[in-house]
Amino acid sequence: MFNFWESQAEQLAQLGRAWLARGASGLCLRADGEVVWRWPQAAEVAQPDVVAEMATAVGPSLELGLCGGGAADGPRLQADAQFLSQAVNLEFELEMMTGELIETQDQLLALYDLTRSTRSHLEVPDTLQSVVAEVARLVKVDSSFAVLQAPPEWPQLVVCHPGCALAEAQMLALFAQAQATGGELLLQGADVAGLLPPGARNLLVVPVQVRGEVLAALGFVNRQLGDFQSPDLKLIRAIAEQAGAQVENALLLHETLMQARLQTEMRMAQEVQLQLLPQKPPRVLGLDLFASSLPALQVGGDFFDFIVEAGRPLIFTVGDVSGKGVSSALLMTMIRTVLRGAGKFDATPTPQSLLDRANRDLYDDFTEVTMFATVFVGQYDAARRCLTYANAGHSPVVFCPAGGAARLLEADGTAVGVLPENLALNQRLAFGAGDVLVVATDGFNEARSLDSGFFGYERLLDLVQANCHRSAAEIAGVLYTAVADFAAGHMQDDDQTLIVVKGVA
Amino acid sequence: MEQKVRFEGDVAVLALHGRFDSYQTGQVRAWLEEATAASPARLAVNLAGVTFIDSTALATLVMGMKRARQQAGDLHLCALQQPVRMVFELTRLDKAFAIFADEQAAVQAFD
Repeated sequence: MFNFWESQAEQLAQLGRAWLARGASGLCLRADGEVVWRWPQAAEVAQPDVVAEMATAVGPSLELGLCGGGAADGPRLQADAQFLSQAVNLEFELEMMTGELIETQDQLLALYDLTRSTRSHLEVPDTLQSVVAEVARLVKVDSSFAVLQAPPEWPQLVVCHPGCALAEAQMLALFAQAQATGGELLLQGADVAGLLPPGARNLLVVPVQVRGEVLAALGFVNRQLGDFQSPDLKLIRAIAEQAGAQVENALLLHETLMQARLQTEMRMAQEVQLQLLPQKPPRVLGLDLFASSLPALQVGGDFFDFIVEAGRPLIFTVGDVSGKGVSSALLMTMIRTVLRGAGKFDATPTPQSLLDRANRDLYDDFTEVTMFATVFVGQYDAARRCLTYANAGHSPVVFCPAGGAARLLEADGTAVGVLPENLALNQRLAFGAGDVLVVATDGFNEARSLDSGFFGYERLLDLVQANCHRSAAEIAGVLYTAVADFAAGHMQDDDQTLIVVKGVA
Repeated sequence: MEQKVRFEGDVAVLALHGRFDSYQTGQVRAWLEEATAASPARLAVNLAGVTFIDSTALATLVMGMKRARQQAGDLHLCALQQPVRMVFELTRLDKAFAIFADEQAAVQAFD
């Protein structure tokens, strides 16, 4: 309680002296009927003759009393009382503002401390542990705790400082209550003593907003200096807001790290995928071979392979698993393995038997993950200069006989994984010197230009025909360059994979 | 890509419009999964408004077709534009799907 008659003693004395000069015998100030100040100070005060009530906003009821005066002094005494009331009110406001300023300053310092102590922690649990340690110190409680449920799919995290004053189940129940109500829970005072957990004198739980939801709560058990007061609550609310921001930052950092890790893993998957492809084509009598795969940004499902077994015709495969991403890449390794196993270990493998095997082995898995794979399998018999192939839904496949027109070798079967049975049959082509076969993936014909036109099949046919006198590597180079020029400025949407097979003398 | 659904008797008809590629398959896939949850699943997909279809979109239709057949029904396709028809022919998916010239024929084929 502030005593303005002490802080304003000099002004009151001047007032007393003025009244004495006017002939009064004394002046006094009464608070709730009791004399708290008098003038002259040493004198005993008789019952005042004139009294004027003061109109103050706070504190006890005050009145100014004049001894040795008459009714004529009433208006002047009333004017003095009014003037004094205003001075009291102004002094009270000033005191309140100073109090708030100090409180705000304290909060700022506390938040600064909190930020400084938590900013060095990168992981969410460390950040939370640091927050509860700091708030226990700032709010001066025996124990503080925090419960976090963020991201929502993570298990709940509970941290305490210095130790846990409550059982974990109690803390989780309090958090659930904060989540349900969205408000604070304050238990203190004799009337709620029965509701407090054993060992707790008082308890405060405040919700913490993380990304707009109550995903955490801060709890305080046993304030060391009596019950929680209004300034404590203000400070704790500010801390809860700050803690929410700290947790958001930690989560963001965690997510960024996870994203970076995922990207690294994707890049590694792409590298593994490329390593699985033959690094260079085999040397086969009567053939000039070239193969390459230009991956798009995302991991894709394209593949090619050469299966070379001593004394047996060369088998080559080109395929494209539907879709993009890691799932396509995984299925690509599966189908490549099945085809390779059948090509290497079956007694008399043919393109059709490889596709039969792949469809039989993988149909259920492909159905499960709702994907399929277009596959072209070729088998070159050097002795007969004959190419046997089977095409399960794959395009584009361009065949250009020496001196003739290029044409598409269309599929006769659906892609592996579409129907329970493989429908692609063995087809035979004489394949002599100057004949060219280009087995590409749809990354070529579906390459898009800036105006969204497609590279298409016609351009492929024309290019293969116009360049069939060149080597396999040169033909591939012409095709890659033409597609890149066509798509200039447009991102490569899909893998571009091809095998060029050219008959040589 | 736009998609509109209507019913012709017990046949659910989905009309698609625009570019049908891997970025657009989510909604169609969700619709197909829901439409094939009960037996018999009789679906018709009208591709008259589809100008381009990629392998992910084809896989989505194949998924719908397989699920419909598991549920004693089928997924009929109709009104394919020339570029889309060519994709079905080159991948030989025209052997896997029942494809009709127009929506009426696709719906009536269930009778």
